Amino acid sequence: VNAALRGRVLVVGSILAAVALVGAYLAAGGSSYVPAKTQNPCKNRPWRNPEGLQQIAEQFSLSALDGAACQLGVTRETLARALATSGSRQRFMDRYGIDDAKLAKAIRAGLVRAVDDAERAGALSPFLAVPLREALQRIPVDEAIELIRDARSLLENARSFLGPAGGLIEQLLP
Amino acid sequence: VLADSSVVVLALPQIYRELDTSVAGVTWVLVSFNLVMALAAVPAAHVARRVGPGRAAAVGLAVFAGASLACGASSQLTTLIAARCVQALGGAAAVTAVLELLPATVGSERRATVVWAGAGATGAALGPAIGGILTELVSWQSIFLLQVPVAIAAAAPILAVAKHEAATGVIEPELRDTGRPHVLANLALAMVSAAIAAALFLLVLLLIEGWRLTPIGAAVVVTVMPLSALAGSRLGPLVPSARARAAGGAILVSGGLAGLAFLPKAEVALTIPPQILVGVGLSLVLSALTETALGGRAPQAIHGGWTISARHAGVVVGLLALTPIFTSDIAQQRRDAIDAGTAVVLDSRVSPLQKIELARRIEERLEGERGRVPTIGPAFDPLPTDPTERAAVVELRSELQDQLDRGATHAFSPSFLLGALLGLLALVPIGLARRMDL
Repeated sequence: VNAALRGRVLVVGSILAAVALVGAYLAAGGSSYVPAKTQNPCKNRPWRNPEGLQQIAEQFSLSALDGAACQLGVTRETLARALATSGSRQRFMDRYGIDDAKLAKAIRAGLVRAVDDAERAGALSPFLAVPLREALQRIPVDEAIELIRDARSLLENARSFLGPAGGLIEQLLP
Repeated sequence: VLADSSVVVLALPQIYRELDTSVAGVTWVLVSFNLVMALAAVPAAHVARRVGPGRAAAVGLAVFAGASLACGASSQLTTLIAARCVQALGGAAAVTAVLELLPATVGSERRATVVWAGAGATGAALGPAIGGILTELVSWQSIFLLQVPVAIAAAAPILAVAKHEAATGVIEPELRDTGRPHVLANLALAMVSAAIAAALFLLVLLLIEGWRLTPIGAAVVVTVMPLSALAGSRLGPLVPSARARAAGGAILVSGGLAGLAFLPKAEVALTIPPQILVGVGLSLVLSALTETALGGRAPQAIHGGWTISARHAGVVVGLLALTPIFTSDIAQQRRDAIDAGTAVVLDSRVSPLQKIELARRIEERLEGERGRVPTIGPAFDPLPTDPTERAAVVELRSELQDQLDRGATHAFSPSFLLGALLGLLALVPIGLARRMDL
């Protein structure tokens, strides 16, 4: 009887120890210790307090990345890393089977979406948005990538894009 | 020989990088050895009984030593795996023959079984520490090269027996009926061994490849498991029922693996409680099942061969079942973690120009790590001098590393859970064996 009891105690003790450990780890967040999910780039994200040129430029870049990533069917984060250097861009294009024309089209579409988002957020006047869209659809791809990296140049040097209309930008920018 | 797998597992990450192979490829350094051991153990035991255990053990150790030398000299994965197969052939002959020699040395077959099982546990206990120290301080090749003098030293006392056998022709001609192996005990052994292999192999990979510990650091951490096994072996004599020990042990092994599957943070200390459960569990279940498989069965070499075969077959099944799962999971989790980390950078408070530069440096580090989870800290050096900017970058670095740690840890969860399931499945043959002598 004693031997049988010891056997039962061992089995029940083992079950309790196992359940206690797993329960404690689950209670401490063991099932949710995973990387954060990235957002779908095709869904619009609200602009966060776009005040001042730098913050508008930053939100503009993020929107442009979202737009281009949505066109290419990748995440915004993947595209951001791809555009970090020319080498990373080439590796990205090889990996996803994207040619120069497709990349250029996506980047331009992304910039146009950024203009849309800026307009919707009230960060860009509709008067400027129309010619900006036109200009961005003809921009060379390398310049388009530079704009995604730092959109301040777009907003600061808008005169060169918009010609005679450019003089109004500084007055119309919020 | 019995310590081989636990020694070699610590060298796998370095072999993986130096021989420029894949995780699936390097797994075959373990799989090949265990597969040949599983296939050769019983035939080797029969050969040992025919030619004499002394001669079989001496030849086996010589083959093992020669193949170990070839392993150490290998510069390609294919030659390393081929040498590992030969090494396992020699190992199978040596281990099974020694079990036949032991009763004469220690006095009884039961005592021989205990000593033999104890040698396996001691080997497993010392294995990770030896493997980690040699890999880090010398090289992965030194693990195999060290096995050469060890095998020769082990063969020295056996040579006298072998010479005696050669001179007297003492070969057991009236081969006793070997009887049937204890199928259920050996089946349970195979399942539990698969779970234990998962625990050791996956934990080492998690620590070195996922959490970026050094081989010595990982060796110290995983030594908790066999040390717990040694401590847990004191529990065995208190419970006479082998079935209860086997069931309790299998439950503890599964519980420990499930704990590793649900680690709430990438912290080494959190691996210790699950390792204690696995360690205590394995000492209970392996001894109970081995005793049952060998108990009252003769000759010991043959039935010992069956247990060796079952254990190594279990390791092979465990590794082959788990490798594709975790290699696919680790690739996916790495991508998810890097995306999550990039999202942290993009949404951070650091200036856009700083983000661009950081993105470039992070991308460089990712490329440099060839699929390994990267240490991201150096990408942030030098830190900005402006205190506000510096604080933002430090916070960003910490958040980014957290995402990578989450990905690395989570990548192993499904494999640990599968290991836990294998351990629980062992309860089926243990339960079915109720009316037998288990």
